[in-house]
Amino acid sequence: MKRNRVPLVVTALVLVFFYLPMVILIINSFNASRFGGSWEGFSLYWYARLLNEHEIWAAVENTLVIGVAATLISTLLGTTAAFALHRYAGTLQKAHYTLIYTPLVVPEVLMGMSLLLLFVSLGVDLGLFTIFLAHVTFCISYVAMVVLARLQDLDFSIVEAARDLGAGWWTATWRILLPLLAPGIAAAGLLAFTLSVDDFVISFFVAGPGSTTLPIRIYSMIKHGSPPLINALSTILLVVTFTVLLITQRLTQEKKR
Amino acid sequence: MKRLCAALFILALAGGCAIDRPTLHVFTWSDYIKPDLIQRFEKENSCRVTIDTFDSNESMYAKLKGGATGYDIVSPSSYMARTMWRQGMLQELDRKQVPNLSHVDPEYLKIALDKEMKYSAPYMLTVTGVAYLKNRVPNLQPTWAVFDRTDLKGRMTMLNDMRETIGGALKFLGYSLNTTDERELAAARDVVIRWKKNLAKFENEQYKTGLASAEFLLVHGYSGDILQVQEENQEIAFTVPKEGTSIACDDMVILKDSRQAQLAHRFINFMHAPQIAAENTEFVRYLCPNLASYPLLSPETRSNPTLFPSAEVRQNAEVITDLGADNAKYTKVWDEIKAAE
Repeated sequence: MKRNRVPLVVTALVLVFFYLPMVILIINSFNASRFGGSWEGFSLYWYARLLNEHEIWAAVENTLVIGVAATLISTLLGTTAAFALHRYAGTLQKAHYTLIYTPLVVPEVLMGMSLLLLFVSLGVDLGLFTIFLAHVTFCISYVAMVVLARLQDLDFSIVEAARDLGAGWWTATWRILLPLLAPGIAAAGLLAFTLSVDDFVISFFVAGPGSTTLPIRIYSMIKHGSPPLINALSTILLVVTFTVLLITQRLTQEKKR
Repeated sequence: MKRLCAALFILALAGGCAIDRPTLHVFTWSDYIKPDLIQRFEKENSCRVTIDTFDSNESMYAKLKGGATGYDIVSPSSYMARTMWRQGMLQELDRKQVPNLSHVDPEYLKIALDKEMKYSAPYMLTVTGVAYLKNRVPNLQPTWAVFDRTDLKGRMTMLNDMRETIGGALKFLGYSLNTTDERELAAARDVVIRWKKNLAKFENEQYKTGLASAEFLLVHGYSGDILQVQEENQEIAFTVPKEGTSIACDDMVILKDSRQAQLAHRFINFMHAPQIAAENTEFVRYLCPNLASYPLLSPETRSNPTLFPSAEVRQNAEVITDLGADNAKYTKVWDEIKAAE
């Protein structure tokens, strides 16, 4: 009997559809040509030039500082939010769920503009701190959703058994609950980090003087400046993002075992 | 790690810690100032300069209009500078603090939107013109009539921008490219429809790669774009039609809520010191309209029509202005052009 080829073809088409543009971008980052039109030979020229672009590296530093800080805080807040959503029921938690869920569906422009208006009316100076707050705001939702999914799979009888056997609340949480939740929390944290590093729209609105992040910088380079530098930079970003993604997947797979 | 901790600490302080040296915040396009000049300015004035970038006039405007503060100097295009001035977002320039503005090219000021430099100082100029491949289009006459050449049929493009392309036809007919006269516009429409038969398409981006790879032989485009492609293909030449063309300028303006107004004035003055302006022109590869800086430019730059439009070109050029309600007239004509066979 002939094997059905359809799944294979569909998979191949999906992969091409998703990854062909990225492959072309990566190839072009090694192109000596300034425009992607023709292949002018293999070159690391753009990578070399990238090293000397201080403004870009300052933007990278801003992005990483915000990414790390926003990830830490949003993971903490998001996890506690998920815990509250899972353990308690009632109208309050229903409202809580809706509020946590909303940022996932609110358009980014709207969120960026409203955050800007908020900061301005509160008289907060725009800068790294406001970008950090904005990123925490939208990251919490993602973290809470991921951790919540993990909590719903969790067998709470294990925690109860620990309590029966004499573990205090703190010991049970620290030695039983958290290790069981850890893969979910880590995956959520990595997701938050990726989202924070990627964000352009919200960051653009709430950024202040001296706090240009990498995505903002890249957008402004498209009009003025050298497009191939963006290719080289994007390639580096892609490598970083893919590494982070692979780790996330590893952690989520462990859950199934 | 130590650095990260320090950064996080600063973050915790809400970035509000005071720095002894005053800081000037510039909000501009990317790669638009020679980095050495910034360092020199910092040293001379014992201050710090931060550069932040935006990607379009509109997004910058939306952000500032939304209430974002902290920036001192912004470099919008002329039309946006005028809008910002009318909205009361800008300070009036104190000319006593910027004596170097006397070097600004009077030829340019004749056509500028802010002729008295009341609220803006011109920063960088670009023109729209015609780029072509020297080896494939010999003996090109610098006129808009090139788009009537049937021997180049299907190998030419014009900008997909109603003001630029209709403007070209208006200049060809000897009218102002800011006209609101419907008869003149109708005549321009017929010219563009005639040209359209010879065009491959109306194109804003791909004409660069198309020209570099000789897919197109002659394109209507911005000088800044053409300069970039010229690095790729030595055969590319640029010329400005003798009937005149459009000229665009990015200005330097000081925001009303600037906390460093004095330093901002000093910065504008610094950028218009002839030596500095010349260096900046050579680096950015647009023209800073500073008359006293022209003799200091390298002969190579001065003889490059893409970088250095001649006095004649600057005289015949016009700045595209925002026509407000009359914009609809152009939209109507443009729709008719697009619909024509």
